[in-house]
Amino acid sequence: MANWDLQVTVEDLGPEAPPVSISVAGDLHIGGVILRIVDKTQIQKNWSDYALWWEQKKQWLLKTNWTLDKYGILADAKLFFTPQHKPIRLVLPNNCNLKINANFAGPVLRTVIDMCKILNIRHPEELSLLKPVEEKEKKRKKDKEEGVEEIYDLTGVVLSGGAPTLYNGVPAHFVDSPEKEAIYKMLSVSQPAPSPETMSKMYRPGNLIDKAQINSRWLDSSRSLMQQGILENDRLLMRFKYYSFFDLEPKYDVVRITQMYEQARWAILLEEIDCTEEEMMLFAALQYHINKLSLTSDHNHRSGNDQALEDLDSALQSLEVKMDNSLSSTEMLESITSIPELKDYLKIFRPKRLTLKGYKQCWFTFKDTSISYFKSKEESMGEPIQQMNLKGCEVAPDVNIAGQKFCIKLLIPAPDGMNEIYLRCDDEKQYSRWMAACRLASKGKTMADSSYQSEVQNILAFLTMQKKNPGTQVASDENINTHSLVSPRYQKKYKAKQLTPRILEAHQNVAQLTLMDAKIRFIQIWQSLPDFGLSYFVVRFKGCRKDEILGISNNRLIRIDLSIGDVVKTWRYNNMRQWNVNWDIRQVAIEFDGNVNIAFSCVTADCKIVHEYIGGYIFMSTRNKDQNDVLNEELFHKLTGGNEAL
Amino acid sequence: MDDIEAMFSDLLGEMDLLTQSLGVETVPPEAPLQKEVNYSIGFKDLNESLNALEDNDLDALMADLAAEIGEPQQSQKGHSNTSVLYQDSQAALLPPPQSYSSGPPAATTLPPIAYSSSASPAPSFPAAPSPSPAPIVTSTPVPSQPSKPLTKEEEEAQAKADKIKLALEKLKEAKVKKLVVKVIMTDNSSKTLMVDETQTVRDILDNLFEKTHCDCNVDWCLYEENTYLQIERIFEDHDNMVECLSQWTRDSENRILFIERKDKYAVFKNPQNFYFGRKEKKEMKEKDKESLLEENFCGTSIIVPDLEGALYLKEDGKKSWKQRYFLLRASGIYYVPKGKTKTSRDLACFVQFDNVNVHYGTDYKNKYKAPTDYCFVLKHPQIQKESNYIKYLCCDDRWSLQLWVMGIRIAKYGKILYDNYRTAVQKAGLASRWSNLANVEAIASSVKTKAVPTQANGCPAQATPPVTSVSSAFSDAWKRADMSKANPAESKPAPAPAPPAPTMQEILPPPPPDPIMTQQECFLPPPPPDFYDLPPPPDDFSEPPPDFLPPPPPCPNAPPPPPPPLLTPAPAPVLKKVGPPPPKRTTPERSGSLHGGEQQDFMSELMKAMQKKSSK
Repeated sequence: MANWDLQVTVEDLGPEAPPVSISVAGDLHIGGVILRIVDKTQIQKNWSDYALWWEQKKQWLLKTNWTLDKYGILADAKLFFTPQHKPIRLVLPNNCNLKINANFAGPVLRTVIDMCKILNIRHPEELSLLKPVEEKEKKRKKDKEEGVEEIYDLTGVVLSGGAPTLYNGVPAHFVDSPEKEAIYKMLSVSQPAPSPETMSKMYRPGNLIDKAQINSRWLDSSRSLMQQGILENDRLLMRFKYYSFFDLEPKYDVVRITQMYEQARWAILLEEIDCTEEEMMLFAALQYHINKLSLTSDHNHRSGNDQALEDLDSALQSLEVKMDNSLSSTEMLESITSIPELKDYLKIFRPKRLTLKGYKQCWFTFKDTSISYFKSKEESMGEPIQQMNLKGCEVAPDVNIAGQKFCIKLLIPAPDGMNEIYLRCDDEKQYSRWMAACRLASKGKTMADSSYQSEVQNILAFLTMQKKNPGTQVASDENINTHSLVSPRYQKKYKAKQLTPRILEAHQNVAQLTLMDAKIRFIQIWQSLPDFGLSYFVVRFKGCRKDEILGISNNRLIRIDLSIGDVVKTWRYNNMRQWNVNWDIRQVAIEFDGNVNIAFSCVTADCKIVHEYIGGYIFMSTRNKDQNDVLNEELFHKLTGGNEAL
Repeated sequence: MDDIEAMFSDLLGEMDLLTQSLGVETVPPEAPLQKEVNYSIGFKDLNESLNALEDNDLDALMADLAAEIGEPQQSQKGHSNTSVLYQDSQAALLPPPQSYSSGPPAATTLPPIAYSSSASPAPSFPAAPSPSPAPIVTSTPVPSQPSKPLTKEEEEAQAKADKIKLALEKLKEAKVKKLVVKVIMTDNSSKTLMVDETQTVRDILDNLFEKTHCDCNVDWCLYEENTYLQIERIFEDHDNMVECLSQWTRDSENRILFIERKDKYAVFKNPQNFYFGRKEKKEMKEKDKESLLEENFCGTSIIVPDLEGALYLKEDGKKSWKQRYFLLRASGIYYVPKGKTKTSRDLACFVQFDNVNVHYGTDYKNKYKAPTDYCFVLKHPQIQKESNYIKYLCCDDRWSLQLWVMGIRIAKYGKILYDNYRTAVQKAGLASRWSNLANVEAIASSVKTKAVPTQANGCPAQATPPVTSVSSAFSDAWKRADMSKANPAESKPAPAPAPPAPTMQEILPPPPPDPIMTQQECFLPPPPPDFYDLPPPPDDFSEPPPDFLPPPPPCPNAPPPPPPPLLTPAPAPVLKKVGPPPPKRTTPERSGSLHGGEQQDFMSELMKAMQKKSSK
């Protein structure tokens, strides 16, 4: 058989170097070709990750036992000898940039699975990669000049097969250096709130069409990065794509839940999903709570757990000794069972009364969950003017720091309605103690509850926050701007000091949550928004003359009128018989039970993306807990691959 | 012994009456009989009903108490605690003597002396009238002195720790709040239960399942009626009973019913009707239902049904209703402000669910000139009277009302609702196994039941008063017998908190042919359920039908109503047989009479006893 020359560009020789020419015959297999190239370059290195890329056909030559003939390669083929793994700049759901080695040769699904393994995110099938919004040339330059983006580097990590071993719940590859630990912290601890300015600069979708545009940027899961024109060091966004989160487990899913929370938070802040004002306040309160807890958990981390444990042990021991010696059991019981009380002069105002007397000073005592008040301290032994049980009442702050007004507004339920009462305190400290007691009492708890002190601190912290807000724009960790907790719409609508009491009010319902619970709660509220989990596409239904919106979620397809925004029709996957894609005319056709047939072509996105979304959700619904951990990639590709899978 | 003779003749008289009453069962009732099976009529208000509390109620309560006390003799503390409690409950349950004249006629048949001089279970029985006969009684928790049992300092550390633990438990126990509650059954009889703070509605339902012979299906619920506001709601299974009842005012006329409500768990039986839009009400395969429920209730967060539409809102303080467009979200109910669209960001919050419960409003067309009678009410649980803080909403039709109430419950309770349902299903499953065993007997007895009407003669129905007098004479008789039997030492009307529990056990007579025995058995924990349903207070007969209308049937697609219950000449109570009738009933009179089977059971026991006695 006749030999001919094959030109192969070897990247390691430098961009200017001419292609290496080797003499081959048609029956030479790919492995042989690679061997000859390596010989020719005379470079000693580990070539195991290298493979041949056929430029014209946009194809990897990965089957080393195939011959050149079988691949159909002739002398005019432009081949590149290049590594299969190259670094990319991955933008995580928390908007941090991470440099990581990505598989450029396998289908994107595989690339994502590999990266998620490094990042310690379970169920990688729920995530995928997006191309970033194309930035304007000017802006890009400006960004480069600022050079503020901190880039975390994980390119050095090479994982052996099998599940990574864990140290204290952290994968081994994150504990070997301080840099890696910092990366793990970035992954597992939520990021501080962004400043309102950065938020306002970021892209926000304004309408359904904008939202549909986002979905046109998803990469194709069944083709490789290289095939989709992604180059080394390109930026790619990693996001949760399929909104059916399987088996969330706080124990194993620290990174997953944190990133999910971050994605949810950005979706709320950037108005990618609509919510009501009340929901926004709750989201803001949860963010505030999570930010605060993240800071403290960070300190714990630094001081080291072991040290803290030892301290606790010794403290417990000394406590034991003390109790044995100094206290008789009765005293001890009393100390356990006695409930702290508050006593002070406060001013009371009852708007219900017709007299316009305003605030009246009285002696107040707070016992259990009840407030009693007397004319004066001296009369506190007698009958109170009134006793109010705060259980089940509504507590709201009425505070104006500039005006030194610290009022607690109480709505106390009574059989014939709610009694409105204002209590005015002298200063922050008094206010925070009484306010905390009122809050606990409204939930039926007394000041003996362990959360009392932290509640007092919470309220004080909130007040300080409000104090510093006007004028100063310092976004230090301790001092969070309330504007950074809500979306720009509400930043415009309310001043920071108007937001503070509302967020504080919402905060009292979540103040007792642990960090992880708070994140999960945030995700849950996000999930229960009516528009949650809907991915939009602009489509044209067969026989229709105007564009409409197709919404795809984990259980149904909805058809939305573009002009009004109303849902016109819903189809559920349960009733779906089959769906087909005509790749020639790029049309998706779906058949439902009862002879319902729909067909549409996709306007904003490739029909492959729509096809993959539907197939993906059907794949997600096939998962169950029994067949844990083993991801059926083959089935995924079968359901989502389209013509490539055939 | 004269007493017993007299009692027997009374008994025969009463039996006569009963058979006569069966003859005229075709007389239509005055009260509108809805197809709803749960319809319960009777006491106009709980107050009166409590005034009219019969001995059997008290006895049942005693049995409850005895069961709950557990080991009363073991500690003085537990002892005094419960006895105080008991005393309290008696005080409130007892009607003030002066109210007898003005009360329902039945009450007059029970001379106050029967209580005060009775040696029956509680010697500490105070005859003193309680100033306001509250329907429920809060027992004052006895402040316990934990130091008392812990004085021995020389004991070892281990023992010390144990004692502290014990003391803490005691302390906790002493603080457990207990209430006495009267639950009205479907046959309009009532049961008096003691519930404590630790009990959920589920616990009480289980308790009632044991005591009644209902089929224990998932629709059984405790149903709160606020007659003043004309609102009612299903107590959720996880609700804390004591907490719910504590919200009532002291003069409350609220009632608790033990009834079946198809709407209790309608969403779990037919989720498609709630989740697939209102128009597509249809059947679905069980498997699909399951997956639909899984989808909506088993994810990381539950999914609230999509629900929006125009509702009428009652304006504050006025009798006018204004239409608004409302939307249900997991975070609350919202409305579309004037001139705005229904996009999320424009919505105004109408109410959030943290502090409100949802109730049905009944007959609001009359009460508040509502556009329809399909109303629901949102209010803080503590509000019991009319107030601007109560929100009244009105739907166009019954189905829309069902959707809203269910939707709100889903939004408010979330997964708990589903968990409750699954527990209820489990309980129902267990119960059905038992009822299968009982079925054979039930069928046998039902055959006999059918035979009864043929015995009925053509006698005209007699007026009801004689019935009451018969039964009161009867109860008087047994009390006198009881008194003679009881230990004189305990019959002193001591107001001091004497321990009730030992008393009860002491007065338990040896298992003889004694009519008292049948009554006394009620004190034995666990009580045989058969003896529980003693004749309902006789005032039922003379009581006019209550003026409230029953709630609309819960579900339009609910199965057809059961065969119309047998009717009595008396206007009121409709007997509803729940589940298989209890086995081992032999007397034929049982069936159609509104006295229910239990009374006949009791009487047959009595009769047997008498026969034995006379044969001596």
